[in-house]
Amino acid sequence: MIGYYISLAMRSLRGTPILSTLMIAAIAVGVGACMTVLTLNYMMSQNALAHKDDVLYAVQLDGWDPNEAADTPNELPWQLTYQDATALLRSDIPTRQVAMHRFGFTVTLDESEMRPFTAEARITTADFFGLFDVPFLFGGTWDAAADLSPVQQVVLSKATNDKVFGGEISVGKTINLNGEPFTVVGIIDHWDPSPKVYDLNNSPFAESEEIYIPFGLHRKFEIFSWGNTNGWSHSNEEGYEGFLQGESVWIQYWVELDSAAQKEKYEEFLTGHIRQQKEQGRFQRPLKFALSKPSEWLVLNEVLRDDNRVLGWLSLAFLLVCVVNAVALLLAKFLRKAPEAGVRRALGASRNAIFIQHLIESSCIGVLGGLLGILLSLLGLGGVRQLAMGKIDQIASMDWLMVLAAIGLAVLASLLAGLYPAWRISRTNPSIYLKTQ
Amino acid sequence: MFELKPMLSALWRNKISALLIAVQLALTLAIVSNATVIVQDRLEKMARPTGIAVSDIISVTFMPVPVNYDMAGAVAADLELLRNMPGVVDATVTNQIPLSGSGSASTYFTEPNQEIGGENANYYQTDEHFIDTLGLNLVAGRNFTRADFDVIGPNDTYEPRVAIITQKFADVMFPGEDAVGKYFYSGGDGEPREIIGVVERHLGAWPSWSKAGQVAFYPLLVTGNHKRYLIRTEPGQRDTVYKQIEEKLAERDPQRVIHLDTLSKRMAQSYISDNVMVKVLSAVMTLLTFIVALGIIGLTIFWINQRNKQIGVRRALGATRANISRYFLVENTLIAGAGLAIGMAAAQVINHFMVNQFSQPVLSIPTLLVCALILLGVSVTAALVPAIRAANISPAMATRSV
Repeated sequence: MIGYYISLAMRSLRGTPILSTLMIAAIAVGVGACMTVLTLNYMMSQNALAHKDDVLYAVQLDGWDPNEAADTPNELPWQLTYQDATALLRSDIPTRQVAMHRFGFTVTLDESEMRPFTAEARITTADFFGLFDVPFLFGGTWDAAADLSPVQQVVLSKATNDKVFGGEISVGKTINLNGEPFTVVGIIDHWDPSPKVYDLNNSPFAESEEIYIPFGLHRKFEIFSWGNTNGWSHSNEEGYEGFLQGESVWIQYWVELDSAAQKEKYEEFLTGHIRQQKEQGRFQRPLKFALSKPSEWLVLNEVLRDDNRVLGWLSLAFLLVCVVNAVALLLAKFLRKAPEAGVRRALGASRNAIFIQHLIESSCIGVLGGLLGILLSLLGLGGVRQLAMGKIDQIASMDWLMVLAAIGLAVLASLLAGLYPAWRISRTNPSIYLKTQ
Repeated sequence: MFELKPMLSALWRNKISALLIAVQLALTLAIVSNATVIVQDRLEKMARPTGIAVSDIISVTFMPVPVNYDMAGAVAADLELLRNMPGVVDATVTNQIPLSGSGSASTYFTEPNQEIGGENANYYQTDEHFIDTLGLNLVAGRNFTRADFDVIGPNDTYEPRVAIITQKFADVMFPGEDAVGKYFYSGGDGEPREIIGVVERHLGAWPSWSKAGQVAFYPLLVTGNHKRYLIRTEPGQRDTVYKQIEEKLAERDPQRVIHLDTLSKRMAQSYISDNVMVKVLSAVMTLLTFIVALGIIGLTIFWINQRNKQIGVRRALGATRANISRYFLVENTLIAGAGLAIGMAAAQVINHFMVNQFSQPVLSIPTLLVCALILLGVSVTAALVPAIRAANISPAMATRSV
């Protein structure tokens, strides 16, 4: 029966080409606009660490200006000072813990024609790879000792290894960073979480870093952050050591706590640390710290911005207009075919049968509109990619879930649009039409 | 003369279809008017004057490879070379690139040793060529001289003695007064910085910052592991000069990595989200209006087909073509008018939500009215073609199938 209804529907669509095209176009444009915006919002709302959402926490401490709270949604500075980060690293409570920040090095090779280039770097403790589940292709991370003392070792991204060593296993080889030799200890596989949940300070949709360097090299290279450095205290101590021991926040800090008991213990540890610092005259604000799960961290950092939400709502309203439009057009079309339905009713078709037949006709329009809508949203996403100048290439693309959602949305919209017209036509009295014929 | 009574009773019989058109127009008005204020707001934001000769400026960032590098010497030699290149007006060294979205800011006070109640300003460490290079307009005081210029290491403690600030920052720090010759201070600090000049305008590092335009400049070079230059070219020469810069700099000193950009590109990148908002919303508005217009055309054609016979009878009874067309146009105007009236209320409600939840701009009544009028025009235009066609129905239709 359904097959028959579908063939009836296709015949009926061909019978009124202009109205049918208008309806399909309305649904297609509605779905296209909606899916363009919803895909962007959906991709921006991804949590690459969802599988570890219950065990990972971003750490924030309130050591900010006694006169004024930090200018963030939870009034805690996003990052830690170097002195607090190194103090927290001494705790053995977390299963893993990462202190890190963004940096950059010039990369050169001895006896090579390769043009020097600047590599985006992450200065981090060795737990980074385990904590964030970064897969290694070859080798592994540096010894934990390298996080405390200057050891010139480096982990390369797959792309960097391809670029510098032509993809060969370069573990054990040497590259020069800022003119100093570093030994390659590992090469990670392609790893590019988007949004970049582990570092939302530096454009959340940027690619992940090209090289990874141990945390113990700050003093040797006098490393400053290539991300945000925020300060409130002007009491400058002398030299680079003064900067390290100062109140500027520039270190991002994550911990892995596998159980509630472990988390409680760590909270006690943080409280103890702050109390101890208060005794030394630091942390003059009320005692406050925060441990945020990756999902909470994404919300706190407003990765999905107000602008995106506005576009989301507007595009849904747009789809609503398209649905109302389709209702009006379907009503017109069905009423025009009322005599046909009258004849079918007279020949014994039930009201239900007429209703179902017309609903199927609307969903055919929905499927066609949905398919066209997917093409339109691909165009739309292409347009947005262009407008964003390559900044959001990773997120302006549809996955299969979004393609299914597009078709689902289109069928839902057209079923909704078809409901009233189909009901209306199934209720008409057949005798009127039989008389006039 | 508008045959309102029969029209209303005819409409009442087709109330669902009429209602559907009215609802479409109401929703459309609510969306379009709210989108319009956002677009207006963003366009105004992007059109703000920067005070900078953006389209003639090239930015250079370079990082030397060797560990012990004579940064001060390299900067002096590079600037000498750049300033002497044909097509180059001037060049300067800077810690950050204006309008690029990255920069430094600090809190400043009008009295020494204060810690609360300061004003924020974006600051630049540059040299006496920055006014010419950026194309700024010095409105009071004097430019830096070579004697003001200092070179320090990245970890040296240092307090600048002189500064040039923007008019906007001057107005914030010293409202209603002449800022030249006044002193200002870094927080908790007693070292005075003398304001020696005021430039008319410089939008600073972050165009979206609430304090954009509050900027201070210091004559200072902090040596570090990377440095930046800004180069202003003769109008129209930018792209020619751009191609030569990397080669010239590499020729002088190959031991470094050089990155070039145009300031236009950096500024466009800073405005990406505004630009995306404007383009996407404009596309939505256009498509929406188009879809609604198509819907109105479709429905009007359908109605007229339904009423072929009625039209034929009216024509046979002496109604002119103009009467018939007018009937459908007035009918359309009635429906559209009702829908747009509802839409105006809906637009206000939605705007309230947008302002409170998403900090978007407030919708003004004139904007709302203009949007409503435009949609009314679209609706009537959409009904026009079918209405004129209706007038061509021959009176013979009336007698055909009775």
